[in-house]
Amino acid sequence: MTFLADVARWFLDPASWQGSGGVPARVLEHLSLSVWPVALAAAIALPLGVTLGHRHRGAFFAISVANVGRALPSFAVLVVGVPVSIKLGLGLSYWPAFAALFLLAIPPMLTNAYTGVREVDPGTVESSRGMGFTEGQVLRKIEIPLALPVIITGIRVSAVQVVATATLAALIGGGGLGRYIIDGLATRDLVQVFAGALLVAVLSVITEGFFSLMERFFVSPGIGRRAEFADISQIPKGF
Amino acid sequence: MILAQTTEPFIRWNWVWSHLDMIWGRTVQHLALTGIALGVGFLISIVLSMIALRYRRTYAPITWVTGVLYSIPSLALFVMLIPLTGLSVTTAEIGLVSYTLLIFIRNIVAGIDGVPQEVREAALGMGYTRRRMLLEIELPIALPVVIAGIRIATVTTVGLVTITALIGLGGLGQLILDGLNRLFTTPLIVGSVLSVVLALLLDGVLVLVERALTPWARRKATIG
Amino acid sequence: MRTKRRTGVFGAILVAFAIVATSCGSGGGATTIKVGSTNFTEQEILGEIYAQALEANGFTVERRFNLGARDIVEPALESGEIDLYAEYAGTVLEYLNNGAGEASGDAAATVDTLRQRFADRGVTVLDYAPAVDANALVVTQETAAKYGLTKISDLASIAGDLVFGGPPECPKRPFCLIGFQDTYGLNFKEFKPLDTGGPITVAALENGEIDVGLLFSSDGAIAAKNFVVLQDDRHLQPADNIVPVVRTAVNSQELDDVVNAVSAKITTSELSQMNKLVNIDKEDASTVAHDWLAANGFISG
Repeated sequence: MTFLADVARWFLDPASWQGSGGVPARVLEHLSLSVWPVALAAAIALPLGVTLGHRHRGAFFAISVANVGRALPSFAVLVVGVPVSIKLGLGLSYWPAFAALFLLAIPPMLTNAYTGVREVDPGTVESSRGMGFTEGQVLRKIEIPLALPVIITGIRVSAVQVVATATLAALIGGGGLGRYIIDGLATRDLVQVFAGALLVAVLSVITEGFFSLMERFFVSPGIGRRAEFADISQIPKGF
Repeated sequence: MILAQTTEPFIRWNWVWSHLDMIWGRTVQHLALTGIALGVGFLISIVLSMIALRYRRTYAPITWVTGVLYSIPSLALFVMLIPLTGLSVTTAEIGLVSYTLLIFIRNIVAGIDGVPQEVREAALGMGYTRRRMLLEIELPIALPVVIAGIRIATVTTVGLVTITALIGLGGLGQLILDGLNRLFTTPLIVGSVLSVVLALLLDGVLVLVERALTPWARRKATIG
Repeated sequence: MRTKRRTGVFGAILVAFAIVATSCGSGGGATTIKVGSTNFTEQEILGEIYAQALEANGFTVERRFNLGARDIVEPALESGEIDLYAEYAGTVLEYLNNGAGEASGDAAATVDTLRQRFADRGVTVLDYAPAVDANALVVTQETAAKYGLTKISDLASIAGDLVFGGPPECPKRPFCLIGFQDTYGLNFKEFKPLDTGGPITVAALENGEIDVGLLFSSDGAIAAKNFVVLQDDRHLQPADNIVPVVRTAVNSQELDDVVNAVSAKITTSELSQMNKLVNIDKEDASTVAHDWLAANGFISG
């Protein structure tokens, strides 16, 4: 019980919230580490998945990406990024982590974009074609809106996974909330480790909630399917 | 500014050949750590799932606790266990097992819940006891969903085992860590590639196991 | 009926298993020593040297390397998870006494005090080696030329413009950041936690992410990259001779004799050379240790 009291004291200490090592700074670092890989992955995976789903092509590719994606240990990808970054003359505190998180973010979004569009009721799609819709219109006005719950779920799973795994960046000198865990490990300061873990968990839950809200806003109420809230076992665990 | 180490090739094959023994040893260690986690995790999950199925109201708290465990960053969990269980396989396994629980439990319960009500009623009508029904009807029907969960847990665990290298264990993770400590890409690549291969291999084996255990699914597919 | 028979068979298998397991449990007559190390390559080399020397003298050795930082490994020694590992006299003394300032540049005096401190914890301190590995404040040739740096006190006026990088535990260590602040008055613009004197710190120095880095004085990279080690003109670093520490409970005269004989022969330049072979030439720590032991007559071949 005194351990939890120590953790509480850590959070209540104003020093924990100030400076470049304080909670706000680390949270911002963590978010910056997380947002860009997800954004770039979305820019690539979503159009690709949607197009493949629309054309009913590349099923094997989409499933394989999902499988291999889960099989890639984030720790390995991160560490592989180190010699590559050094060779390319890039800084170590951001780019290896970015690469690892980018690769991690792609599979859920690609697979869900593909499946979401592909599973849109073929009858609806056909009748829209019959009404004279161009392929582009079919995609934009029928398939994507109907697939939106599944697509947003994919983004959500991706984002939460990235936020949880961005903790790894600290392993190779990067920042973010993982710093509390790594620095705590190096000085056997378990209170700091626990505080860091807690903050990561809270940030993941907030990310989860944010995208659930997004879904509520962007998905037309007429569409019945709502992806299940907070099924975190769907979220691959990288770290 | 192109830095030093440009003379270091991506893979030194002669290092790989001369270290095959060590690489194999690490692979076996990796498999052992994975296997123990999956085995123990599955046993615990079966018990918890049976409880959740029997006493429905326990399902939410069970998923909540295992969910919280699942979201703890693995290194943090290992580090916090060190004062309790030391720098041992036990520490790593407690962590690894925890991460499998949520996946297994959700899939076991979903699988059994997925058994059609008519089948249950027919079985009851034929005089099956609850226990026999579970073992001979429900579990076989739930098998595909359960195995799907085992596949996910397996691939996840293989990846997480690499992180135990940071507390002196880790199987293939040790190769990755060595690659980091010495900026030596060969063990780094070997360790990483083997982790992925191992995960995909085990996944493939489980797909085959599923096919072997559910011959009726294939028969139905070929008839229909 | 069928279930009863199945339970019977299952039970019999369990009992058989238990019998086999317990009989395989107890080891032979040889003493098993668990040799540990912290998480950088020099430690692995030293661990291998002592491990192989012990094995050549009839001990069974279990290797537990790369366990983590001192904060993890020293408690593991006290709790018996490992039996022996190589320490650095001055630094570990200050670690044990919470920075009381007992360590000095005098190796013999430092080790004597260390013996007393460790004795309370059930640990015996063996003979120290001539080899020294202390914290080294390092800059690139360019930085040294730009600011005219040869010694650490040269940094005093410009530290506020410089970024310093080192191991994550550095800010809490008396011979690291704390010492640099207290003894030299250095208040760096920023501290970046990187790795334990490893390639990440080296890379950060090279690509300018940090201006000053903490490496270890026996690191082969210093010579290989032509870094400039700033002279410790105010003698902050204590005598950080390599000194093996062993759990008193498993210690024996035989073990002491083997280990002390080996320690006596480890010099700083040889240690640096071994570091270079492992880190830069990518040889195995076990091979390098073996070759060194053979060259010094501790093992054959």
